[in-house]
Amino acid sequence: MGISLMYYLLVSGGLFALGLAGVLIRRNMLLLLLAVELMLNGANVALIGFSRHWDVTDGQIFALVVMVVAAAEVVIGLGLIVAVYRQRIVLDVDELDQLKG
Amino acid sequence: MAERIAFAIAAAGALGSALGVITLRNPFKAAVALIGTLVSVALLFLLAAAPFVAAIQVIVYAGAIVVLFLFVIAYLGEDPPLMGPDRTGRWAFVPATGVGVAAVIGLVALLRSSLPGMRARFAEASDIGSPRAIGEAFVDRHALIFEATSLVLLIAALGAVLLARRAVLGERGR
Repeated sequence: MGISLMYYLLVSGGLFALGLAGVLIRRNMLLLLLAVELMLNGANVALIGFSRHWDVTDGQIFALVVMVVAAAEVVIGLGLIVAVYRQRIVLDVDELDQLKG
Repeated sequence: MAERIAFAIAAAGALGSALGVITLRNPFKAAVALIGTLVSVALLFLLAAAPFVAAIQVIVYAGAIVVLFLFVIAYLGEDPPLMGPDRTGRWAFVPATGVGVAAVIGLVALLRSSLPGMRARFAEASDIGSPRAIGEAFVDRHALIFEATSLVLLIAALGAVLLARRAVLGERGR
Protein backbone atom coordinates (compact mmCIF):
# COMPACT_ATOMS: atom_id res chain seq x y z
CA MET A 1 0.00 0.00 0.00
CA GLY A 2 1.32 3.42 -0.92
CA ILE A 3 0.33 6.96 -0.18
CA SER A 4 -2.07 8.96 -2.35
CA LEU A 5 -2.44 12.67 -3.04
CA MET A 6 -5.56 12.65 -0.83
CA TYR A 7 -3.51 12.12 2.34
CA TYR A 8 -1.16 14.97 1.51
CA LEU A 9 -4.08 17.31 0.89
CA LEU A 10 -5.73 16.26 4.17
CA VAL A 11 -2.53 17.01 6.16
CA SER A 12 -2.10 20.27 4.24
CA GLY A 13 -5.65 21.37 5.00
CA GLY A 14 -5.27 20.39 8.65
CA LEU A 15 -2.09 22.45 9.06
CA PHE A 16 -3.67 25.42 7.27
CA ALA A 17 -6.82 25.26 9.44
CA LEU A 18 -4.77 25.07 12.67
CA GLY A 19 -2.66 28.02 11.51
CA LEU A 20 -5.79 30.03 10.67
CA ALA A 21 -7.25 29.23 14.10
CA GLY A 22 -3.98 30.40 15.67
CA VAL A 23 -4.01 33.68 13.73
CA LEU A 24 -7.59 34.34 14.87
CA ILE A 25 -7.04 33.31 18.52
CA ARG A 26 -3.64 34.82 19.31
CA ARG A 27 -3.29 38.47 20.25
CA ASN A 28 0.44 38.43 20.95
CA MET A 29 2.19 39.48 17.72
CA LEU A 30 5.04 37.02 18.15
CA LEU A 31 2.77 33.99 18.56
CA LEU A 32 0.63 35.25 15.67
CA LEU A 33 3.69 35.10 13.39
CA LEU A 34 4.30 31.48 14.47
CA ALA A 35 0.73 30.62 13.41
CA VAL A 36 1.35 32.29 10.02
CA GLU A 37 4.34 29.96 9.58
CA LEU A 38 1.98 27.01 10.10
CA MET A 39 -0.27 28.27 7.29
CA LEU A 40 2.71 28.65 4.92
CA ASN A 41 3.82 25.10 5.73
CA GLY A 42 0.34 23.77 5.02
CA ALA A 43 0.53 25.35 1.56
CA ASN A 44 3.99 23.83 1.03
CA VAL A 45 2.75 20.32 1.86
CA ALA A 46 0.06 20.67 -0.82
CA LEU A 47 2.62 21.94 -3.37
CA ILE A 48 4.99 19.04 -2.74
CA GLY A 49 2.10 16.55 -2.85
CA PHE A 50 0.97 17.87 -6.24
CA SER A 51 4.56 17.87 -7.50
CA ARG A 52 4.75 14.16 -6.62
CA HIS A 53 1.32 13.48 -8.10
CA TRP A 54 2.06 14.97 -11.52
CA ASP A 55 5.72 13.87 -11.38
CA VAL A 56 7.14 17.31 -12.21
CA THR A 57 9.69 19.50 -10.39
CA ASP A 58 7.74 22.78 -10.69
CA GLY A 59 5.83 22.27 -7.43
CA GLN A 60 9.11 21.94 -5.53
CA ILE A 61 10.40 25.17 -7.10
CA PHE A 62 7.22 26.85 -5.92
CA ALA A 63 7.71 25.44 -2.40
CA LEU A 64 11.26 26.85 -2.30
CA VAL A 65 9.96 30.27 -3.38
CA VAL A 66 7.34 30.10 -0.59
CA MET A 67 10.19 29.43 1.87
CA VAL A 68 12.07 32.52 0.62
CA VAL A 69 8.93 34.64 1.04
CA ALA A 70 8.44 33.17 4.53
CA ALA A 71 12.00 34.11 5.48
CA ALA A 72 11.50 37.68 4.23
CA GLU A 73 8.19 37.91 6.07
CA VAL A 74 9.74 36.71 9.34
CA VAL A 75 12.56 39.25 9.06
CA ILE A 76 10.13 42.15 8.56
CA GLY A 77 7.68 40.82 11.18
CA LEU A 78 10.32 40.39 13.86
CA GLY A 79 11.80 43.80 12.94
CA LEU A 80 8.38 45.37 13.51
CA ILE A 81 7.95 43.52 16.81
CA VAL A 82 11.32 44.71 18.11
CA ALA A 83 10.60 48.28 16.91
CA VAL A 84 7.22 48.25 18.71
CA TYR A 85 8.77 46.77 21.85
CA ARG A 86 11.48 49.45 21.99
CA GLN A 87 8.79 52.15 22.03
CA ARG A 88 7.40 50.43 25.17
CA ILE A 89 4.07 49.61 23.58
CA VAL A 90 2.14 46.45 24.44
CA LEU A 91 2.64 43.73 21.81
CA ASP A 92 -1.12 43.28 21.37
CA VAL A 93 -2.66 43.37 17.88
CA ASP A 94 -5.87 44.87 19.32
CA GLU A 95 -3.94 47.86 20.68
CA LEU A 96 -1.88 48.41 17.50
CA ASP A 97 -4.67 49.47 15.14
CA GLN A 98 -3.52 52.90 13.94
CA LEU A 99 -0.82 52.38 11.26
CA LYS A 100 0.99 55.39 12.70
CA GLY A 101 4.46 55.62 14.24
CA MET B 1 3.49 -0.50 4.19
CA ALA B 2 6.58 0.95 5.88
CA GLU B 3 6.04 4.09 3.82
CA ARG B 4 2.50 4.36 5.14
CA ILE B 5 3.59 3.98 8.78
CA ALA B 6 6.25 6.69 8.31
CA PHE B 7 3.64 8.95 6.70
CA ALA B 8 1.20 8.39 9.59
CA ILE B 9 3.90 9.22 12.18
CA ALA B 10 4.98 12.36 10.30
CA ALA B 11 1.39 13.55 9.78
CA ALA B 12 0.48 12.97 13.44
CA GLY B 13 3.67 14.73 14.54
CA ALA B 14 3.00 17.71 12.27
CA LEU B 15 -0.63 18.18 13.35
CA GLY B 16 0.09 17.47 17.05
CA SER B 17 2.94 19.99 17.22
CA ALA B 18 0.81 22.49 15.26
CA LEU B 19 -1.81 22.20 17.99
CA GLY B 20 0.96 22.95 20.50
CA VAL B 21 2.06 26.01 18.50
CA ILE B 22 -1.39 27.61 18.69
CA THR B 23 -2.27 26.63 22.29
CA LEU B 24 0.93 26.86 24.38
CA ARG B 25 1.02 30.05 26.46
CA ASN B 26 4.80 30.25 26.73
CA PRO B 27 6.32 31.73 23.50
CA PHE B 28 9.50 29.70 23.95
CA LYS B 29 7.57 26.41 24.14
CA ALA B 30 5.42 27.42 21.14
CA ALA B 31 8.57 28.05 19.06
CA VAL B 32 9.98 24.65 20.05
CA ALA B 33 6.66 23.04 19.05
CA LEU B 34 7.05 24.79 15.67
CA ILE B 35 10.39 22.99 15.23
CA GLY B 36 8.49 19.70 15.72
CA THR B 37 6.02 20.66 12.99
CA LEU B 38 8.77 21.74 10.58
CA VAL B 39 10.79 18.53 11.02
CA SER B 40 7.65 16.38 10.58
CA VAL B 41 6.79 18.32 7.40
CA ALA B 42 10.35 17.72 6.17
CA LEU B 43 9.73 13.98 6.64
CA LEU B 44 6.54 14.32 4.56
CA PHE B 45 8.63 16.01 1.82
CA LEU B 46 11.14 13.17 1.97
CA LEU B 47 8.32 10.64 1.44
CA ALA B 48 7.16 12.59 -1.63
CA ALA B 49 10.48 12.31 -3.52
CA ALA B 50 11.65 15.80 -2.51
CA PRO B 51 14.90 15.22 -0.56
CA PHE B 52 16.42 18.60 -1.51
CA VAL B 53 13.39 20.59 -0.33
CA ALA B 54 13.33 18.48 2.87
CA ALA B 55 16.97 19.35 3.56
CA ILE B 56 16.31 23.06 2.92
CA GLN B 57 13.27 22.85 5.20
CA VAL B 58 15.40 21.54 8.10
CA ILE B 59 18.44 23.77 7.50
CA VAL B 60 16.76 27.08 6.64
CA TYR B 61 13.37 26.80 8.32
CA ALA B 62 13.98 24.76 11.48
CA GLY B 63 17.52 26.10 11.65
CA ALA B 64 17.70 29.76 10.71
CA ILE B 65 14.12 31.04 10.94
CA VAL B 66 13.16 29.38 14.24
CA VAL B 67 16.49 30.41 15.78
CA LEU B 68 15.65 33.99 14.76
CA PHE B 69 12.31 33.59 16.57
CA LEU B 70 14.00 32.18 19.68
CA PHE B 71 16.52 35.03 19.61
CA VAL B 72 13.76 37.65 19.58
CA ILE B 73 11.84 35.79 22.32
CA ALA B 74 14.99 35.78 24.46
CA TYR B 75 15.54 39.48 23.67
CA LEU B 76 12.01 40.49 24.65
CA GLY B 77 12.00 38.29 27.76
CA GLU B 78 8.85 36.82 29.25
CA ASP B 79 7.39 40.10 30.42
CA PRO B 80 3.68 39.38 31.16
CA PRO B 81 2.28 42.93 30.68
CA LEU B 82 3.91 43.20 27.23
CA MET B 83 2.24 39.98 26.07
CA GLY B 84 -1.46 40.23 25.25
CA PRO B 85 -3.65 37.30 26.36
CA ASP B 86 -5.29 34.98 23.85
CA ARG B 87 -8.83 35.55 22.60
CA THR B 88 -10.36 32.71 24.58
CA GLY B 89 -13.22 34.42 26.41
CA ARG B 90 -16.84 34.99 25.50
CA TRP B 91 -16.07 35.62 21.82
CA ALA B 92 -14.00 32.48 21.26
CA PHE B 93 -16.88 30.93 19.32
CA VAL B 94 -16.42 33.41 16.44
CA PRO B 95 -12.98 32.15 15.24
CA ALA B 96 -14.00 28.57 16.12
CA THR B 97 -17.11 28.82 13.90
CA GLY B 98 -15.18 30.46 11.05
CA VAL B 99 -12.42 27.85 11.01
CA GLY B 100 -14.96 25.03 11.45
CA VAL B 101 -17.07 26.16 8.50
CA ALA B 102 -13.95 26.60 6.31
CA ALA B 103 -12.70 23.13 7.32
CA VAL B 104 -16.06 21.50 6.48
CA ILE B 105 -16.19 23.23 3.08
CA GLY B 106 -12.62 22.14 2.33
CA LEU B 107 -13.28 18.55 3.43
CA VAL B 108 -16.43 18.28 1.27
CA ALA B 109 -14.58 19.75 -1.72
CA LEU B 110 -11.73 17.29 -1.20
CA LEU B 111 -13.93 14.20 -0.80
CA ARG B 112 -16.15 15.06 -3.77
CA SER B 113 -13.24 16.02 -6.05
CA SER B 114 -12.92 14.08 -9.30
CA LEU B 115 -9.24 14.81 -9.98
CA PRO B 116 -7.87 11.80 -11.89
CA GLY B 117 -5.79 9.44 -9.78
CA MET B 118 -6.28 11.40 -6.59
CA ARG B 119 -7.16 8.39 -4.45
CA ALA B 120 -4.79 5.97 -6.18
CA ARG B 121 -1.31 5.42 -4.78
CA PHE B 122 1.48 7.51 -6.30
CA ALA B 123 3.09 6.11 -9.44
CA GLU B 124 6.82 5.43 -9.47
CA ALA B 125 8.60 8.79 -9.28
CA SER B 126 11.14 9.91 -11.84
CA ASP B 127 14.07 12.14 -10.89
CA ILE B 128 12.14 15.22 -9.73
CA GLY B 129 13.62 16.08 -6.33
CA SER B 130 17.38 15.78 -6.69
CA PRO B 131 19.52 18.94 -6.42
CA ARG B 132 20.35 18.48 -10.12
CA ALA B 133 16.69 18.45 -11.20
CA ILE B 134 15.89 21.46 -8.98
CA GLY B 135 18.89 23.40 -10.27
CA GLU B 136 18.01 22.71 -13.90
CA ALA B 137 14.37 23.70 -13.37
CA PHE B 138 15.38 26.88 -11.54
CA VAL B 139 17.98 28.09 -14.03
CA ASP B 140 16.47 26.81 -17.28
CA ARG B 141 12.75 27.35 -16.93
CA HIS B 142 12.28 29.64 -13.94
CA ALA B 143 15.20 32.06 -14.15
CA LEU B 144 12.92 35.09 -13.70
CA ILE B 145 11.50 33.67 -10.44
CA PHE B 146 15.05 32.96 -9.29
CA GLU B 147 16.01 36.60 -9.80
CA ALA B 148 12.77 37.77 -8.18
CA THR B 149 13.56 35.81 -4.97
CA SER B 150 16.93 37.54 -4.68
CA LEU B 151 15.17 40.90 -5.03
CA VAL B 152 12.63 39.92 -2.33
CA LEU B 153 15.41 39.00 0.09
CA LEU B 154 17.30 42.22 -0.65
CA ILE B 155 14.21 44.36 -0.02
CA ALA B 156 13.47 42.45 3.21
CA ALA B 157 17.01 43.07 4.49
CA LEU B 158 16.79 46.79 3.61
CA GLY B 159 13.40 47.04 5.31
CA ALA B 160 14.72 45.41 8.48
CA VAL B 161 17.65 47.86 8.61
CA LEU B 162 15.32 50.85 8.13
CA LEU B 163 12.96 49.57 10.85
CA ALA B 164 15.84 49.14 13.30
CA ARG B 165 17.12 52.65 12.51
CA ARG B 166 13.66 54.16 13.05
CA ALA B 167 13.27 52.32 16.34
CA VAL B 168 16.60 53.65 17.63
CA LEU B 169 15.77 57.21 16.52
CA GLY B 170 12.33 57.01 18.15
CA GLU B 171 13.88 55.91 21.42
CA ARG B 172 16.36 58.77 21.43
CA GLY B 173 13.54 61.26 20.92
CA ARG B 174 11.88 60.31 24.21
